[in-house]
Amino acid sequence: MNHSLNYLLRRLGFYFIAAWAALTLNFFIPRLMPGDPAAIIFARFRGKLKPEAMNALRETFGLTDEPLLGQYWSYLKSILQGDLGISIAYFPEPVTSIISSALLWTIFLAGFSLIISFSLGTLLGTIIAWNRSGKLDSFLPPALAFIGAFPYFWLAMVALYIFGFELSWFPLGHAYGNDVTPGFNIPFILSALYHAALPALTMILVSLGGWMLSMRNIMITTLGTDYIAFAHAKGLSSRLIMLRYAARNAILPNFTGFGMALGFVLSGALLTEIIFSYPGQGYLLLQAVRAQDFPLMQGLFMTITFAVLAANWIVDILILFFDPRTRK
Amino acid sequence: MILKKLSYTILISLFIVVGCENSNEIKKRDGLIVYQEAQISWIRNFNPLSPAGSARWPTLSGIYEPLFIYNSITGEYVPWLALDYTWEKGNKVLKMLIRKGVKWSDGEPFSAEDVAFTFNIKRKHRALDTRDSWGYLKEVVAMSDTIVKFEFKRIYVPGFDALATQSIVAKHIWDKIDDPVKFSNPSPVGTGPFTEIIRFDSQLWELGKNPNYWQKGKPQINKLIFPTYPSNEQVTLALLSGNLDWAGAFIPAVDRVFVSKDTVHHKYWFPLTGHTTFLHTNTKHPILSDVRVRKAISYAIDRELVVKVGMYDYTEPAHVSGVSGPMSKWHSPYLDQAENWTTYDPGKANMLLDGAGFIKDETGLRYTTDGHILEFDIIIVSGWSDWIRSAQIVSQNLKNVGITAKVKTYDFGAWISRMQKGDFELAIGWAEKGTTPYALYRGMMSSEYLQPKGEIADVNWHRFGLASADSLFREYEQTSDKNEITEIIYELQHLFIEHAPSLPLFSEASWAECNTKYFSNFPSAENPYATLSPNYPPENLLVLVNVQNR
Repeated sequence: MNHSLNYLLRRLGFYFIAAWAALTLNFFIPRLMPGDPAAIIFARFRGKLKPEAMNALRETFGLTDEPLLGQYWSYLKSILQGDLGISIAYFPEPVTSIISSALLWTIFLAGFSLIISFSLGTLLGTIIAWNRSGKLDSFLPPALAFIGAFPYFWLAMVALYIFGFELSWFPLGHAYGNDVTPGFNIPFILSALYHAALPALTMILVSLGGWMLSMRNIMITTLGTDYIAFAHAKGLSSRLIMLRYAARNAILPNFTGFGMALGFVLSGALLTEIIFSYPGQGYLLLQAVRAQDFPLMQGLFMTITFAVLAANWIVDILILFFDPRTRK
Repeated sequence: MILKKLSYTILISLFIVVGCENSNEIKKRDGLIVYQEAQISWIRNFNPLSPAGSARWPTLSGIYEPLFIYNSITGEYVPWLALDYTWEKGNKVLKMLIRKGVKWSDGEPFSAEDVAFTFNIKRKHRALDTRDSWGYLKEVVAMSDTIVKFEFKRIYVPGFDALATQSIVAKHIWDKIDDPVKFSNPSPVGTGPFTEIIRFDSQLWELGKNPNYWQKGKPQINKLIFPTYPSNEQVTLALLSGNLDWAGAFIPAVDRVFVSKDTVHHKYWFPLTGHTTFLHTNTKHPILSDVRVRKAISYAIDRELVVKVGMYDYTEPAHVSGVSGPMSKWHSPYLDQAENWTTYDPGKANMLLDGAGFIKDETGLRYTTDGHILEFDIIIVSGWSDWIRSAQIVSQNLKNVGITAKVKTYDFGAWISRMQKGDFELAIGWAEKGTTPYALYRGMMSSEYLQPKGEIADVNWHRFGLASADSLFREYEQTSDKNEITEIIYELQHLFIEHAPSLPLFSEASWAECNTKYFSNFPSAENPYATLSPNYPPENLLVLVNVQNR
């Protein structure tokens, strides 16, 4: 157990350094982009605003000529205090309040689709590897690989057009209906589920194949090892061998992949959110980059970074649990 | 076993999903559904003074009202919270007569005090003074309940635009606000037709009528409804499915895509705005500094084709004066004596280029005198497909007269930065807009905004200054006499045509669609009482008080 603790602490130390590096990059990379936020807001008015407005804009946003290093220190300080600053595109809204509402929807939509897609894909992979060259095994992998090969935005647009617009089975967008009030009530929850259904289905459809194939391939390798043959020889039930002996070992690389994917959930649902008008993080990130909204960009990158790191740490713990070899 | 359970779960969830009532078409319509801002999540901000432009759309054209509304279709000022104005003491003093009987939405009376207060709060917080009014104002005082006096420290008659169209806020509310710059004004108190926030959720908000509105019997419609739409595709789908009553979106092939779905109710109106989209020429470039080269480029462009291919024929080729449509009344009467270099004349272009010393080789390419190939880059914002297509036509046209022009696209931030620093050769872009062509010509020819290459110039990207124009601008700023103003504009126009500092490409149009199934009396070509596009606050007030329930 001491070994395990040591291992976890070592990983934690590594994540701290990674977090600091990411925060530093978060600060410097947006500032390397050409242009400045006041100029972009001014330009959005396309000549309707007079040039005199530039001074007022720069003063409003508190854009300073302070050297970068000084700005960097005050940025680190305010982050430690949990202050992410004020958004420029949504002035004068604090970044934290903008992110928190978007974060919930993203976690709900992308998080659930990832969990469904991962569990379903891994389960299917286990089953088709166990019954390899069965009917399911000859049909599912090529079919899902075929769907997964479509560009996602195209698939999502077609799904929206057919099921949303032509057949009207699903809503055309948004996270809940206009006739419900957000809050903890049954109509709102049902409406939210209904609105998440089509975007979630498209996300699951394109990612299912990946999880299934990687699980199937590792599973087949595992099934060929000596200890599985030994388990058979002992006369254990096939379900026990499939799940407790083979799948438990084969799932480890998929777990690592899951950790990565969990982190990317926060940024990766960009296309889904744009196509289905879903009020999540991805769309917000796009807006922030377009408006050169440094504080919002930094806040979003920070949540993504921390999510990736936290997810990986959780996976570290999970692997410790599933794989006794790491405990030595 | 597992598969069986799984298929049950899928079946049940499908059942729930399909079992839900299909709510795609909003059947009951108790409010006007509007799209103006591309947003995915609403943020509650109704600060009409904030320079960040982050307040929700009808803040400037529904909740708060200005003294006068500039009608971009008629080119006239419509008296609104003010009834009349006079210039006195050699244009050093402007007096406005304020309307009586107006109330704030909380029931308090509105008076000239509120007007004076609004301008003085901008004086105190310079960040709010987006039009730099205090650069020429000395003081603003209410002389009585109905008269406001603006005293100028330097005579600047065009300043009237900024003063007249300023949204007026309530003194009894705003004098208690410590930092009006960062105030998000969540529950606004205004004089406008719609002031009551009925509901505000991240995805939808509703704005109800002002119970104390000064125009009796108006507005007719009950409330305004704002769902979020993040992109033009979503707006188009909502328009097609009848879930949107009024929108300001660009729709390609609008007759086929939108109107054909319901020819009775689906309407659009894309009127010319009077302004122009330019092919900017960097006059600090050693070759483009030659007016013959600029005019040759202009003659070489087939603007009819640009408009047809690039702009779906929604607009028309630019007029050589740089103004058109509702601004055509400013066209000089002596235009027939001026050179019309926006016509398509490749022969003339070739002649000018030959004369400037750029020789064609046997393959038809032109070279500079020191043997370099004559080539320019045209920079465009990536993803702005109408401009990219237009630039490609321009590039083809230029090739025909021996000029190599490559279209290069940049992200918006990078593009604007290049324009401001003068780091471009040719570019498609907009120019300054105002209520008279003065704003355009000042941006085009005034040395006031001229910056050396590499320094940021917020306007005058093409970097051209003309001393003879400068003195005309000073004259214009001093006079409130209609005839004098017209004469100066004519002179500026002829200077612009003579020097061709930048090249007008095509006239600008404004995009607007409406659905007349539930509401009527939207502006249209037959009933042009204002522009239909919601992108023109505060002019949109005219629409909001005139639209009627069907």
